[in-house]
Amino acid sequence: MVQKEMSDGIFNITKGSRRGLATKNLDPGAGVYGEKLVTIEGNEYRMWNPKRSKLAAMALKRMRIPIRHDSRVLYLGAASGTTVSHVSDMVPDGVVYAVEFSARTIRDLVQMCERRSNIVPILADATHPSSYAHIVGPVDVIFQDVAQPNQAKIAIINARRFLKNGGHLLLSIKARSVDTVASPDKIFKEEIRTLEADDVGFHVSNRQDLSPFHEDHMGVVAERKIVKE
Amino acid sequence: MINVKIITWFGTLELDDSEHLVDCDILDRMDIDHLARRMREIQQETNDIPPAGYDLCDAAQECGFVSNGEEYVSLLHQVSIQATKYGVAESYTPDMRIIQAIGTLDDLDEAANLLSERLSEWYGLHFPELDKNTEQLANFVATHGSRSTLSAEDALFEKASSSMGAELSDTDETLLKGFAQNISALYEDRRRIEDYIIGSMGQLAPNLSDIAGPLIGARLISMTGGLPRLARLPSSTVQVMGANRALFKHLRSRAPSPKHGIIFNHPLIKNAPWWQRGKIARVVAAKISLASRIDLYSGRVELSLKDDLMVRIATIEAAHPNPPARSTVKSGKGKSKGGRR
Repeated sequence: MVQKEMSDGIFNITKGSRRGLATKNLDPGAGVYGEKLVTIEGNEYRMWNPKRSKLAAMALKRMRIPIRHDSRVLYLGAASGTTVSHVSDMVPDGVVYAVEFSARTIRDLVQMCERRSNIVPILADATHPSSYAHIVGPVDVIFQDVAQPNQAKIAIINARRFLKNGGHLLLSIKARSVDTVASPDKIFKEEIRTLEADDVGFHVSNRQDLSPFHEDHMGVVAERKIVKE
Repeated sequence: MINVKIITWFGTLELDDSEHLVDCDILDRMDIDHLARRMREIQQETNDIPPAGYDLCDAAQECGFVSNGEEYVSLLHQVSIQATKYGVAESYTPDMRIIQAIGTLDDLDEAANLLSERLSEWYGLHFPELDKNTEQLANFVATHGSRSTLSAEDALFEKASSSMGAELSDTDETLLKGFAQNISALYEDRRRIEDYIIGSMGQLAPNLSDIAGPLIGARLISMTGGLPRLARLPSSTVQVMGANRALFKHLRSRAPSPKHGIIFNHPLIKNAPWWQRGKIARVVAAKISLASRIDLYSGRVELSLKDDLMVRIATIEAAHPNPPARSTVKSGKGKSKGGRR
């Protein structure tokens, strides 16, 4: 029975045959999507499958996940809320703004939100940040996992409006959404160049291919540094 | 010094030019429902949005809307859940109903065909001479069951009494009868859904219905994901929608461009001689685009559209009365189809 904290709120757990990443359950006794629950020393953890979550894959790839217990996180592309629930576990004293465009997939997310008071679900298009600027304030971290062709651009416009100076962007680039035929390497390079070239002030500190957990995906960690004149 | 007005989910604020709060008009924090409805509304608003980096949580405390950050998040949590629920409910638009209905129609066709085939196989062991299929077969088995129940006056009595098929036990008969009743019900459902689509299309998109026919119109809406998106498409896309394989083959290689996608099922195109089809498809697609735009933006019924279409088609027919002379075409029609693969 070993337990080690990999990063704030992300644990590496071994208990019997169960081993892998987990987060401390904010809603003890209840799972969200059928994941296994493990209790160690009175604390309940939810096992976190890197194949189902880009963020878990990024953590397993030893990328530094800059989410703290009191972080405010803007989550773009929340889908049905699998990863959102783990981020919610990681920020017991913070808040997750979960933006999702599809009314079909947000249904599951809403049901989960009812049990987790630190999630704010928003049905909106991440390519139009002004449609939720009345709701979302400045955030410490933006996590983005959207299946759109202009992923770097979406990160930039959202960061410009919401990301604090010194805040972090966690970006999962899906090559297949940018271009179905071009080589993923070329796409990753291009997207990262777009990210760093913009005056929003991104500095990419780490990038990792997310295989074998996710094919043709790259995880990127960037910090926003605004140059003061 | 110029003050700016900004809209937030908890009220309207006035800021001075250094973003300090000057005045605020906050809403009743106890009325979650009203806050949620307003939150949905202001999401459409593109004016008066807070400046980049503006802290709404601090502002809400300064206005006295909430007394601390925890309270702010808790309230925002409740309101946003309610607002999202309204958003989910709003997504059930007339377009969405038509898209679901068309999907159901296709599923029903597939299911009814599959089950009819099974019924035909099974019942065929008992009464192979019965020359019926699909709905007629299902109705026959549902009403009669075993062939031995046919009366002497029935037209099929002769065939039934001299059938080479095996006898049907009582258990089998009950089972098959029930099964056949279910299949009949599927065909009944199919008709009802088709009527439903025709009715809904008449309300949502009368012009499109008129030009394309309600079912093709509904299918076009379903393929694009809604009337607004269909209306914004160029008609050249409408013309080949549904011929994806042929289109990409054309774009990739030297294959000829497809002349028509699902609009091929339009009687004006389907029944036209082959050498006029491409030209007619282009005209029909153009009118479909116009019709869907009128439906989306004005909703007025424009009868002249159909007249225009018929005039254009008459012109095409008059201009091309005979098949073009080509060495590969041997007098007959449709011989040039297929082409290179």
